[in-house]
Amino acid sequence: MTLPPILAALRKHKAGVVLIALQIALTLAIVCNAIFIIGQRIQRIQRPTGMNEGNLFLITQMWVGAPTGDDQASGDKMDSLLRTDLAALRNVPDVESVTAMNSIPLLNSSWTNGVSLKPKQQHSTAHAAFYFGDENMLKTMGVQLAAGRAFTAADVQHRSFRAEDKPPIIIVSQALADKLFPGGNAVGKSVYIADNTEPSTIIGVVKRLQVSSADTWTNDFTWNTVLEPVRLNSNFSRYLVRAKPGRLQAAMKESRAALFAANPMRVIDDSAEHNSIRSFADIRAKAYRADRGMAILMSVICVILLAVTGAGIVGLTSFWVGQRHKQIGVRRALGARKIDILRYFQTENLLIAGGGAVAGIILAIGLNLWLMQRYEMDRMPVLYVLAGVAVVLALGQAAVFAPARRAANVPPVVATRTV
Amino acid sequence: MLKMTHLSKVYRTEVVETYALRDFNIDVKEGEFVAVMGPSGSGKTTFLTIAGLLESFTGGEYRLDGIEVRELDDNARSKIRNEKIGFVFQSFNLIPDLNVHDNVEVPLRYRGMKATEREQRIMQSLERVGLASRARHYPAELSGGQQQRVAIARALAGSPRLLLADEPTGNLDTQMARGVMELLEDIHREGATIVMVTHDPELAARAQRSVHIIDGQAVDINEEPRFHNHAHARVASQQI
Repeated sequence: MTLPPILAALRKHKAGVVLIALQIALTLAIVCNAIFIIGQRIQRIQRPTGMNEGNLFLITQMWVGAPTGDDQASGDKMDSLLRTDLAALRNVPDVESVTAMNSIPLLNSSWTNGVSLKPKQQHSTAHAAFYFGDENMLKTMGVQLAAGRAFTAADVQHRSFRAEDKPPIIIVSQALADKLFPGGNAVGKSVYIADNTEPSTIIGVVKRLQVSSADTWTNDFTWNTVLEPVRLNSNFSRYLVRAKPGRLQAAMKESRAALFAANPMRVIDDSAEHNSIRSFADIRAKAYRADRGMAILMSVICVILLAVTGAGIVGLTSFWVGQRHKQIGVRRALGARKIDILRYFQTENLLIAGGGAVAGIILAIGLNLWLMQRYEMDRMPVLYVLAGVAVVLALGQAAVFAPARRAANVPPVVATRTV
Repeated sequence: MLKMTHLSKVYRTEVVETYALRDFNIDVKEGEFVAVMGPSGSGKTTFLTIAGLLESFTGGEYRLDGIEVRELDDNARSKIRNEKIGFVFQSFNLIPDLNVHDNVEVPLRYRGMKATEREQRIMQSLERVGLASRARHYPAELSGGQQQRVAIARALAGSPRLLLADEPTGNLDTQMARGVMELLEDIHREGATIVMVTHDPELAARAQRSVHIIDGQAVDINEEPRFHNHAHARVASQQI
């Protein structure tokens, strides 16, 4: 059976055809954009920070009774406490390396500033997140050096976290280096942090290092990072610890005991809310919880929409099969084979779904343009629309199969029945 | 053309077996016009559905145009229905969503015929039944008599070897019935083999011979004149 008689029959059932085609069009428009958003979220969730993330954990702790002043004596005392802790952690058998840092990627505790090529520049050349740590920072994070050198113990200073940030040397991420010096060769060049008049010399470039937040406000400078050889002194500290391979859980447990053995006057909050000793996997999971939630929500919406549309097609086709029961028998009596009846309904559905898909393509692109204007979403590649079309057409064919097979099994003798 | 020998059709349920046809024998020669009569429930519709390969039978033999149909699969039966048999139903059975032209075209499309040949046959058939001018009308726009003529055109379009008519005038008034009957007679005179199931003795009398089906068995009245009165008496008594 070819198209003209099927189209002629469809013209007699306009309301049902238009409703299902419209449902297919809306499903296509929403599913395409939802899948695009899901894809983007998954891409965000899976992007590597630039660190070697396995076997890493973070300890956040606070000393009880530690000095709080910004004077030299207080600073020295706090740095002494910090170095004692670092030594204690280094001695834990399952710990490979340790560094004291202000923050790490995805922790959602950010220190950001402008970086300029000239002093007192009105608008900084780039915005970046800042990480402070000692000579073990690169090794413990597991970031890869692309050019220049890492910090040595001699480079490392200590200062209060409230003191002015005037590092003589820094390491930058490749993305920031490219932004500052598009011509390359950033190593050895000078830049100015914030309003500093004293330059900071770039001594090294790391391949990739993400900023400390995954929130959208960092989208413009996600990979712009600066590392400074500084132990920040405060009454609290963060230790990034790399456990020996496969010994993460043991190292986390042992580190807690080692810190309390070195100095019991501290608070390490183990409550679920603060969870002061956390694996990096936990930090990553928490950072992308909203993205994961959005991806799951969108997936559920897609599944529900597809299921409702599939059910609509099954319902309408079943209704039509019931309505045309006698007509199917007549067709069989006139020589239609079972496969002809099956094909009739499959083709009929293909025409309806095809019409719906054409309208759906326009709606999908329109919805994407609206989202781009209102919510700064990216332009959806055509591939998503084509994939969406394939999905709704396949859904239509799958949904129509069962009622179409029921129709194909209508016996030809039905043609002779009067009721 | 159509030969059934010791044919039986049994409808089975869990508790009962009902013989719709039992030791049924009939032989319709090529070019004959046979009327099949019988009271309600006698098995004449079952005979027609089996003759038209619309359902299977339980035992015996059935040869149609020299082909033993017992072993044919569903596809082969569909092919024979399409190529060798034309159906005319009591309730016309036109497809309401298709116009007259497209209704006549249905069996030709299932045959896989080319468009030009289809078009030629459709117009010939519609001209044959006097409805060429109504080709673009829908069934609902036609009278009962016209709808039955379209059904006859649909049956004729495929040039079938056998025309099976199930109470073709049953839903028509006298005038329309006469017109349809004359059309069938014309078609028969042109050489078609027709088997017509009817209740109406007047219509049956216009056929070459009549076969009565009583309790699932065929009684050929013209071949068994002594049985004639007895058979009519039984039919009359059952109808009363």
